[in-house]
Amino acid sequence: MGKILKRAVATSKEAIKDAEMESVDAIITGTGYGCIENTEFFLDALSTEGEQLLKPTYFMQSTHNTISSLVAIQTKNHGYNATYAHKGVSFDSALQDAWWQFQLGKINSALVGGHDEMTETFYHILKKGGVMGMDDEKCGEAAVSVVLSRHCEESAAASRHCEEERRSNPEKSYLCKLIGFQMLHQPSQNALVDAVATLLGNHEGDRAYREEAKTLFGDKPLLRYKHLFGESFTASGLGFYVAAQCLKAGRVPASLFVDAKEIRDMQPKCILLYNRSDGKNVSLTLLEA
Amino acid sequence: MKPILVTGMGVVSAIGLGKAQTLEALLANRSGVGELKYLKTEHKEFPVGEVQLTDAEMRKRLDIAEDAVTTRTALMGMLALEEALADARLTQEMLPQVGFISGTTVGGMDMSEQFYLDYIHGEAHKEYIAAHDCGSCTEMTAKRFGKFAFVTTLSTACSSAANAIILGANMIRCGEADIVVVGGSECITKFHLNGFNSLMILDTQPCRPFDATRNGLNLGEGAAYLVLESEESAKKRGAKAQALLSGYGNACDAFHQTASSPDGEGAFRAMKEALELAGLQPSEIDYINAHGTGTPNNDVSESQAMKRLFGDKVPPVSSTKPFTGHTTSASGSIEAVFCILALQNGFVPVNLNWSQAMEDGVVPVSQPTKKALNHILCNAFGFGGNDSSLLLSNADFSLNRHCGLDPQSPKRQEPVFVLSAKQISIQQPLNEDWMQNAETHETRPEFQGLYFAHRGKAHGKDTETCRGHLQGSH
Repeated sequence: MGKILKRAVATSKEAIKDAEMESVDAIITGTGYGCIENTEFFLDALSTEGEQLLKPTYFMQSTHNTISSLVAIQTKNHGYNATYAHKGVSFDSALQDAWWQFQLGKINSALVGGHDEMTETFYHILKKGGVMGMDDEKCGEAAVSVVLSRHCEESAAASRHCEEERRSNPEKSYLCKLIGFQMLHQPSQNALVDAVATLLGNHEGDRAYREEAKTLFGDKPLLRYKHLFGESFTASGLGFYVAAQCLKAGRVPASLFVDAKEIRDMQPKCILLYNRSDGKNVSLTLLEA
Repeated sequence: MKPILVTGMGVVSAIGLGKAQTLEALLANRSGVGELKYLKTEHKEFPVGEVQLTDAEMRKRLDIAEDAVTTRTALMGMLALEEALADARLTQEMLPQVGFISGTTVGGMDMSEQFYLDYIHGEAHKEYIAAHDCGSCTEMTAKRFGKFAFVTTLSTACSSAANAIILGANMIRCGEADIVVVGGSECITKFHLNGFNSLMILDTQPCRPFDATRNGLNLGEGAAYLVLESEESAKKRGAKAQALLSGYGNACDAFHQTASSPDGEGAFRAMKEALELAGLQPSEIDYINAHGTGTPNNDVSESQAMKRLFGDKVPPVSSTKPFTGHTTSASGSIEAVFCILALQNGFVPVNLNWSQAMEDGVVPVSQPTKKALNHILCNAFGFGGNDSSLLLSNADFSLNRHCGLDPQSPKRQEPVFVLSAKQISIQQPLNEDWMQNAETHETRPEFQGLYFAHRGKAHGKDTETCRGHLQGSH
């Protein structure tokens, strides 16, 4: 089993356990490249050894949906199961799918994951192809699993969890809201946002990001996260994780501020995730404490 | 649910380019499966259902320059999308209000498998690197026609297109869009031909779904898109419904990465969910377009699922895979188009190549049957047990039917709680102390340019934690 699969199973099981849930109604994964290591092994064998002696192992675990289905097999989950592979908005698409099903009343809980792996060979290929890792951009891997629910149960363990949180943050949980692009231009909505988490992690992309963010969000402090985890197609999943953790902890670590002048002690109540990916697809996620 | 209108469609497969050729081949029982012509592979022994055009011929048809970066999956997608948009009378000016959701798994693999060694060792063909992923394929297909409001890609192996249809329907039901173009595209590649061969599920003879002598599948390729539209939107612009999407289900077999469960649990749940969403009884289904790949395993599993749901009154069933081969990620939408053609023209497509009943299996329709059809279930199952079922209904079916599963107010935008979030990264394996690192330093100096979540200090703990979680797996 490849590392992407091990990490997906580990983060998924931890997240479900942490959420104190027996099972979830839906398992939805975003992955830009899927199980690229196994794909590479199979391609390599195909290219160097020819077509006669190939073994099925790598192929069986090379499709993108291997991740979601393995998590389903491991957690014996027969619920809704889907996988999105759409470049920098793969995780966002998975989140969106869950969001719509929540709105339709179709599901009450969902495990949403963002998973991508990197290999040395693949890193050099991506760099050569101008996809990622150009200039000073750091490439990374993503392994994030989040459990979403319509309800926040007051079970014994949940309140213990709340108590821990209460030290830093009076809220017992945080909410997630996905908003439409047009809502950004509504002053009341915009005023609620404490910080915007965004950025690519390379100079060229970041310049465009910063200019755009300034126009859209005015004086809201800009936060980044890719300097910690690296860029990947599902890096936005780590952005979601970071924002959720900052809201939970009631603070924002200093190195997250893009502009050193903006570093401040803040207890964020609302963070907007702004992912413009490669400039074509824009995704906005609002997380509230 | 309130049914969603299908106001246009386009299709490309081994049996023809476009709806007219497709219908003609289906009515004439003419298979497109034959000797391998276009794919460059050593495995000439397997019959395949290839789209009868070279990449160059498709480029020419679409007026795409010889040196422009594109892939076969994108080319077939463009041919099908062109027809679907024209069929629904959607112009370039309207696309900024329209969503586009496509399913694919191989993406640009047809090029990557040819140029892989160049990618590693040289500079040649490096412009194709960025075209490898599934999303790029969807973007290339979409870009030709204009700027869609929303674009994304489903990748659930052989049920990808079916799940694209489901997402599109959910968008419309939520009031997020009035029109969404949905479906999938997939070309045959050496990669998955060899993959399926290594799994020993390819037949060297034309495939025989639900037959006692069945011995595997034939690969196929193609693309199809449906234009899904809300009733209000169609009314407003005078678009006519060709059929209705009245229900759908997605469930996971959760049994094995590449095999289906003997009792067809995932398939059973998907079909049941589709019926419930539509508010229909099993007895109201007039025809099932089965996934029916012709592998010993699938046909047993799917037969069991149908028998569990329909008892001894299983409706007429056929698999159209002998016409086209298994078009993998595109099969969900290609076969949905076949079902709509069947609804419109009152016939049950024949399960070609069938002669002997299999043990405990369904007996498929093997003779041409003219019959008025109201409701069809269309199955698409993928590796990993990603099972989906679509319920397509005749356009005359009352639009006023409502099932209890529709939301009261489609735009209620209720908040959702984030109960937990976990990650494994270079920063910390599986815990939340990344904040400590974030306070003190930006990056660890030993990682220049590339962050492996598995390296360094993270390695031992990460692997250990993962191993703990994987115990007891099969």
